[in-house]
Amino acid sequence: MGWHAYLALWCVVLGAVAVVGYGRSLAGVTRGQRAVRVMGRIERVTEPRHGSSGREGIAVVVTFRDPATGQEFTVTNDGECGDRISTAWTGREVGIRYPPGRPHAYQFTTDPDAGRSGLGRPNFAVFLIYVGLVVVASIDWGWPWALIGFGVPWTLLSATYLPRAVRDTRLRIEGLASGDPVPGRVIAVLKDVTVDEDSGTATRHTPVVAFTTHDGTAVTAYRTTGLSDPARSRGRELTIHYRPDDPAVFTTDLAAEHRSRVGEIAFAVGSLLVGVAAAVAGGVLIAG
Amino acid sequence: MTITPAPPSAPPTRSTPLDLARVVLTGAVIGSSLAALVVGTVLGHVSLLVGGLVLPIAHGLLVLAAGAPERARRRAIVPCTTLARIEGLHATGGETSDVPVRFDLTVAPDGRPAYRVESTQSVNLVDLADYEPGGIVVVQYPPHQPWAVKLVKRPTPEWEDRAASARINSAPGPALTAKPPPDGSVGGYLTLLALLLGAAAVVFAFRADLFGPEGPADRPPSAAGPADPGTSSTTIVSAASGTVALGPGQSLFDGGRLRLAVDSLTQGDGRNRQALTVVAQDRLLTVVFTPAGSQAPGFDLDALPYPRIPALVREARTTLGVRSPQTWQLTAESLSGALTLRVGVAGADGAASLEANGHGEIVRRVPAR
Repeated sequence: MGWHAYLALWCVVLGAVAVVGYGRSLAGVTRGQRAVRVMGRIERVTEPRHGSSGREGIAVVVTFRDPATGQEFTVTNDGECGDRISTAWTGREVGIRYPPGRPHAYQFTTDPDAGRSGLGRPNFAVFLIYVGLVVVASIDWGWPWALIGFGVPWTLLSATYLPRAVRDTRLRIEGLASGDPVPGRVIAVLKDVTVDEDSGTATRHTPVVAFTTHDGTAVTAYRTTGLSDPARSRGRELTIHYRPDDPAVFTTDLAAEHRSRVGEIAFAVGSLLVGVAAAVAGGVLIAG
Repeated sequence: MTITPAPPSAPPTRSTPLDLARVVLTGAVIGSSLAALVVGTVLGHVSLLVGGLVLPIAHGLLVLAAGAPERARRRAIVPCTTLARIEGLHATGGETSDVPVRFDLTVAPDGRPAYRVESTQSVNLVDLADYEPGGIVVVQYPPHQPWAVKLVKRPTPEWEDRAASARINSAPGPALTAKPPPDGSVGGYLTLLALLLGAAAVVFAFRADLFGPEGPADRPPSAAGPADPGTSSTTIVSAASGTVALGPGQSLFDGGRLRLAVDSLTQGDGRNRQALTVVAQDRLLTVVFTPAGSQAPGFDLDALPYPRIPALVREARTTLGVRSPQTWQLTAESLSGALTLRVGVAGADGAASLEANGHGEIVRRVPAR
């Protein structure tokens, strides 16, 4: 069996996966589509204990109502139950997802709409087919086709991503700068020690910031970036800029946000240029 | 009527025949796929390599699919939440911030007899002080596995209140544990045995290629798989002749390889494609080109019956009475006019040859004498 036959097999198998996936998505029977998605409400926030682990997120008590039965459930984020809750305040809405009829298998989610279309798996199968075809084209017709195969879709993706990145960072900065800052404080520093056979012991420190917004919302949040010497930051007084409509978006350093905005846009532009350069170089080499 | 609840049963201690069949199959798949990868690498057998990769993946998918209904059934079960009394605890290790702690608990389910259970849980060092003998904790377990108790570190307010006001008396032992069944070692031996048998089966199936004669002249032309055009070879070309020597593990008589080798000698503008003689052995090809301007009776290299050549060599090796051929070669020339192919074979039984015309049809056999 020649290697072209293996490629054909690769395409057939993945094509079947894709067709089945798209069919299931059209029929609305994928796990993501069947999942029940509701918004829960944080009823209680427990202040993290200094030195404890940050892996399980801020301890919260959440209530939600199952739309099928109307029954209300009170749950906590104990153990493995979806996305980590790293910013919390009483009254905050959090996404909850669970299989139909099984509210006890609830999972917290930061993006309640994630996976709603059920197209992730078939799209990935199509991507793998595309990779296989690009590899074949590169071997059969020459490596410049790899540049084309990579550059063209990369450029299209970057061109889509760039305007959105610019808009999102602009809105974020505007939101953060729109209100008066409030005082905040590092109330605890969480510590997670992991042992790796290669790199030895690694310790990660996660400062926990608490602040109260102008409307009286007491926010508790992990702050993984932007604080110098996080291990000894407990008790440090901070100035918090937050978005009035969503205190989960906050910063302790507005100037750093501006710098990171420039960095993000530069990254998006650089990414676009890499794609264009690859596609152009591939085209020139093929034409030459 | 009073219904007396039965005390919780211990974990199953015997494996079912289905469990044993599963471990045997898993062992066989692991052994055969590993052996296929090794044998495929040694022989350069691409199909075997691919099979060695695909087999465990297919097996994994099969196991996943077969276990899906059972997993779905278990997921649909709502775990029981109840209170438990800590009878004792001790940390069993710990280099990280979370240490494994072995709890001895008296679990007190609502409406059922209390029972003892041992369970190991990971507890953060900072939170360790929350757990002490005599303390009440909230636990969860699947209804059908009362020994699989899990500590609820963040109970709901309702369960917090119940734990704060509860008093639980110690239950007598022995404690249930979630240890693997005692006959788990049988499964281990079966897995190992199946693994070895699976590997042996693959090696046995390819024993001829692995342990057969190693000399290139002794390898049957069709023994190896299709040659990889990217593997090593040495090519020397001059105006008068050209030579191609293939690297180890390749053969000119693998599908299409002879044609590729001939083409490699004649590529380029103005290269001569007329030859006086072509001599091919397993890994060595020599072409004597017709000198430019010569009237010598050469032939076009494209006229060779390439698809027939492996069959001619096989025919000469197997049907002319030379039982253990040690050397053989193919010669193509048209010095006498028409293109003639001659395959010579020599071994302990003597020498033999056959002749074929330009279409690859055998016209003469000279058996061993």
